[in-house]
Amino acid sequence: MIAVENLSHHYGGQPTLLDLGFRLAPGEKAVILGANGCGKSTLLKILDGLIAPGAGRYLYDGEAITPLRLKAGGLRRRFRQEVGLLFQNPDVMLFNPTVADEIAFGPRQLGLADVDDRVAHWAGKTGVTHLLPRAPFSLSGGEKQKTALAALLAVEPKLLLLDEPTAALDPRSTGWLVDFLAGLKQTVLCSTHNLSLAPELAPRALVLGEDHRLLYDGPIERFLMDETALVQANLAHIHSHRHTYFRAPAHHHHPLKKGVVEHRHFHTHDW
Amino acid sequence: MPALPVDRARLIAYLTALVTFSFLTSPLWLGAGLAAVLALAGRQGPRLLRRALLATLAFSGAASATYAALSWWTQHRLPLDWLLAANLRVLLMALLTFLFIARVNLFRALDFSRRLTFLLTLAVSQSLGLRRTLDDFRLGLHSRAIRPAGLKARYRAAARAAAWLLDRALANAHESAQALQSRGFFK
Repeated sequence: MIAVENLSHHYGGQPTLLDLGFRLAPGEKAVILGANGCGKSTLLKILDGLIAPGAGRYLYDGEAITPLRLKAGGLRRRFRQEVGLLFQNPDVMLFNPTVADEIAFGPRQLGLADVDDRVAHWAGKTGVTHLLPRAPFSLSGGEKQKTALAALLAVEPKLLLLDEPTAALDPRSTGWLVDFLAGLKQTVLCSTHNLSLAPELAPRALVLGEDHRLLYDGPIERFLMDETALVQANLAHIHSHRHTYFRAPAHHHHPLKKGVVEHRHFHTHDW
Repeated sequence: MPALPVDRARLIAYLTALVTFSFLTSPLWLGAGLAAVLALAGRQGPRLLRRALLATLAFSGAASATYAALSWWTQHRLPLDWLLAANLRVLLMALLTFLFIARVNLFRALDFSRRLTFLLTLAVSQSLGLRRTLDDFRLGLHSRAIRPAGLKARYRAAARAAAWLLDRALANAHESAQALQSRGFFK
């Protein structure tokens, strides 16, 4: 479905992406892993045709995509309907007076006859039906995220690009999103730096290194077991820490003994 | 006596010129000032003049139109002299400011004061962050527009971005002030 070939991008004279190459088949789900500033958001914006790569090519269904080529009406209409990007900050993509208008925005642009049905359907699927008359700016972060997702899905895209979709979500909403994405038939490419969540989102990982190159492309479980690669990607670190432990003595009628052990080892934190 | 660093000398010249221009009322003198600043700008002149014209239109246009309408309503005449002088002055000051920003390193100009450098750093980091978000608002609309976005959608997106930026700028400023306060900055 998409092919990225020798793709590079620079911003302000500094590299943001260097010589990336990968393919994604229809229906496939993958996560982009990488530390902050390694270029995940830039890559997703290039894949959504919003910014042009400095070098290399990005093909969608065999068609080279750049902002300039998307000025052509036919390609633009097809691409914008088939590819949706959920921004890291959902505020930037919500501008309609109500949640209902927000979800209806895409279908209205397409001139579809069943706009109201689509709004009701996707509001129900994403759990925002009770928010339909509300103004999007008055919602919580998680509600905005769900509204933005419903707005994207209302035009039934084939490829969903999600930029850190769990960043603004509480644990319950995160669980909901994992289940929701698993049930979608669309091709999904989702960025995150949350290592514990990544294997729940997709079986394949594309890992961007701090040198802005593709560090790893393959099964996510294999990457998560490779401590060297995790440290190299700045997704794990080593530091000393203290564990408190309780040890049951031989005679159960004595109280538990408490102790502390301090050591150093590779370590990941999710945030 | 040590020589005044170039950037600081330019800052003083800029502030002096700004005050001087604010006293000019004759369109002739204001026109001469514009010609002088354009000559100083050299090859950057046309680009800076275009930006200054857009800025003048955005910030002074509404005020001028309102004043003209009010004069017409109350006195049945257009205050053309005032409108010309006021807009020329705004244009001249905007052009001078854009030239100043293009030519002067403000960090070097203000490096005599730790506090001013702190404030400048805060202002620059905030404006860079807000600019990135503003870019995202533009891309957000672009990304969702299956057909080129109409005037209504553009207006709504711009209004939403402006409201978001204002809220965020206020919240950031409040938080920055609290952070500085907690580090004893205002004592």
